[in-house]
Amino acid sequence: MRPLRSALGCASVLLLATSAAAQSKPVALRGATLYTVSGPPIADGVLVFQSGKIVAVGPAETTRPPAGARSVDLPGLVIIPGLVDTHSHIGVYSRPLVAANRDGNETSNPVSPEMRVMDAIWPGDPGIRMALAGGITTANIMPGSGNVVGGQTAYVKLRGESIEEMWIRDAAGSPVTGGMKMANGENPKRSHGSRGKAPMTRMAVAHLERRLFVEAQAYRAKWEAYRAKGEGDPPDRDLRLEPMLEVLAGRRVVHHHTHRADDILTVVRIADEFGHRVVIQHGTEAYKVAELLARKRIPVSAIVVDAPGGKHEAIELERSNPALLEAAGVKVAIHTDDYITHSRLFLRSGALAVRAGMSEAGALRALTHSAAEMLDLGDRLGSLEPGKDADFVVLSGPPFALRTRVRETWIDGEKVWDRADPRDRLYQTGGFRVADRYPAERR
Amino acid sequence: MRAIAFRVAFRAGLGAIALAATLLPGGAHGEEVAVRAALLHTSGPQGTLEDGVVLIRGSEITRVGPVARVAIPPGARVLRAAVVTPGLIDAHGVAGLAGAYNVPADQDQDERSGPNQAGLRAIDGFNPEERLLRWLLRHGVTAVQSGPGEANPIGGLAGVFKTHGDSLDQALVRFPSALVFSLGEPPKGTYAEDRKPPVTRMGTAALIRGALLEAAQYAAKRKEGRGLRIPLLSRPRAEAPDRDLAKEALARALRGEIPALFTARREDDLDTALRIGREFGLRIVLADAVEGYLMADRIREAGVPVLVGPIMERPGRLETINHSFENAAILYAAGVPIAFQSGFESYVPKTRVVLFEAAVAVAFGLPDAAALRGLTIESARLLGVDDRLGSLEPGKDADLVLFDGDPLEYTSHVEAVLVNGALAWERERQ
Repeated sequence: MRPLRSALGCASVLLLATSAAAQSKPVALRGATLYTVSGPPIADGVLVFQSGKIVAVGPAETTRPPAGARSVDLPGLVIIPGLVDTHSHIGVYSRPLVAANRDGNETSNPVSPEMRVMDAIWPGDPGIRMALAGGITTANIMPGSGNVVGGQTAYVKLRGESIEEMWIRDAAGSPVTGGMKMANGENPKRSHGSRGKAPMTRMAVAHLERRLFVEAQAYRAKWEAYRAKGEGDPPDRDLRLEPMLEVLAGRRVVHHHTHRADDILTVVRIADEFGHRVVIQHGTEAYKVAELLARKRIPVSAIVVDAPGGKHEAIELERSNPALLEAAGVKVAIHTDDYITHSRLFLRSGALAVRAGMSEAGALRALTHSAAEMLDLGDRLGSLEPGKDADFVVLSGPPFALRTRVRETWIDGEKVWDRADPRDRLYQTGGFRVADRYPAERR
Repeated sequence: MRAIAFRVAFRAGLGAIALAATLLPGGAHGEEVAVRAALLHTSGPQGTLEDGVVLIRGSEITRVGPVARVAIPPGARVLRAAVVTPGLIDAHGVAGLAGAYNVPADQDQDERSGPNQAGLRAIDGFNPEERLLRWLLRHGVTAVQSGPGEANPIGGLAGVFKTHGDSLDQALVRFPSALVFSLGEPPKGTYAEDRKPPVTRMGTAALIRGALLEAAQYAAKRKEGRGLRIPLLSRPRAEAPDRDLAKEALARALRGEIPALFTARREDDLDTALRIGREFGLRIVLADAVEGYLMADRIREAGVPVLVGPIMERPGRLETINHSFENAAILYAAGVPIAFQSGFESYVPKTRVVLFEAAVAVAFGLPDAAALRGLTIESARLLGVDDRLGSLEPGKDADLVLFDGDPLEYTSHVEAVLVNGALAWERERQ
């Protein structure tokens, strides 16, 4: 490996703080503009964190770093909360994306709630470092959309060498419950119907989904009966239905891939029938049913892409979708669906939503706090507020400007990606596998 | 600054990408239109002008200059914008042959019935009303080089088309503009299951070399067979071979009438293109060129231009793993002529937009001016259409894009697009 520190001297003034692992000593970042998301931007702000948590945020004149804090000046730079991607496939569609590395769709069975994405995530996927280079600190890594029920998703931070280290844990140290991936519309039809198997129609897609919920209800009834009786043998464990009990109980959110307006309404109809919580994922035509989604308080995690098409249900895609949902009062997140869009350019997705009419504040919230809320992590992530995890991103300029670059990405008060490090830099530009040959003047 | 002086009477609803075509001012013969810009990027000899104006009569530009020197004729319709550029040109892709729905009914770019399709013509499959073209139009792309895809080692003949116009006659700018070839992973995968060539990179190269050699021999025999013959003195005339459309197309590339456009990604594949080009004296143009930045000096020395992109190339193959957002910047810095292409997309999104591609190249180090030239005059030059397109100069087609700010900035808007002097698209106000 080449020497890490170039003549640039690592403009990284934050270097001081890098080894602060579970730093007991507070660190105060001063002079940057803070986009807190919980309030208006703070010019010349102070952000203090300690032991992985934010302890103070505010303007310089009123925010005094605690005694003994190490101060780091970041004049002219911008700090935003770590970005939260509600829909990613990094680690399960690893780079290089050849058949050997495709582990997202267990299409041997269209209804596969027992599949756990954690069993397929490769923490060494370069795609994970590429996501850090885009400022993403937390992701909902999901199975693909080839099945009606794809399996259990994982809410992780992008650090560590094993899934156990990546898990986001609750106060008791247990991994937080992830989501359940479901899909309707073309994809499950294509991956099964094309082989002459169900589902071949949207009717069957909905039927398979409902049938699973009915099975889960029956399984729940068995447990309820057993608990009510207080004696006898408990029902047998069922790996398919156990996670569905969490869905029925509202502890595991259904992340539902869906595009066309009528497919979105099918998701809503089934959620009304069984009472589970859903996040509309992609929601290409959500703008057509925005009022209903607002009324029912169903959130949408939207994708913003360069052009429509590629399949029927993406034909009426408009980049104004997030703007129109925002205007209708729907809670909106924006996601990468990596590899459909680049995690490295996640801020660009927000910028294109702004181009199409979304407010800048709304777009930043869509990439941070609203996204965290859709993972039931809004109380811990997604804004710069005292008590929250010290996950943040240092930018060279305003978040939605073309020439702004992610400079540093921090998770739990530790720097996990640094553009000043020549090896890290190549995960932002590309070229990490040919680092020794990458044109020298660019390193 | 944002005001455009006239409005389209007709308003479509949300997904209004189709307003355009029929209704419009300009275009009408004799009517004069003046487009006035706080910043006018001409991509021509006048460079960038502050408070500049472009005068248009019919479908042509008549005058260009600073407002101080070029008087706006009384009675001319005046359009204003913060920034105006020439119509953007997508240097290579498949839009029009490939449709948005991505079903067999609208996919006409890849003739998977044999690896040598040199005789195919883009004009026979190009749908001028394809909605992907209108999507490009609303982002300021007024012309595309569209041709066969990447499935076959030899794909066929590409053409240059406008993104506005209801018939081929209206849309066509130049045909043929290139003969397209494909190296690396895609062509060797097309027939591999049937164990038909090519199955390897060797097979792809052998197939292309064999076809070029046969075409050269064919061209020589055709020439000889049709040559002047003096009885008794000349050798007996060899029978001229029957016309062969594939060989004719290859012969045009061999004669240098059109470039040989090679899509290749890995460094060694790019070298294969250069090697075949040297062997047969082809005018090589490299497309995509993922690993071009690793051999920028070799490409410059070969005098070969690169149609970069998609800059936002997705993963999906081994040959794209070393993709870098800095490719365009590095090639440009090395002195390689570059333009931007949308290339091939097989899923959502079904096309790339070169305006966005160039922006990301700028975000990763390409100078703004190089990006704008790559989107306009440089692209026109590489496609052989710079006599009509690519810059704002008298006599050229009145294809203009009106922006409300820096054309490359993520949050700027295309306010309006003129094609052949007619308002082809205008932004719906939010």
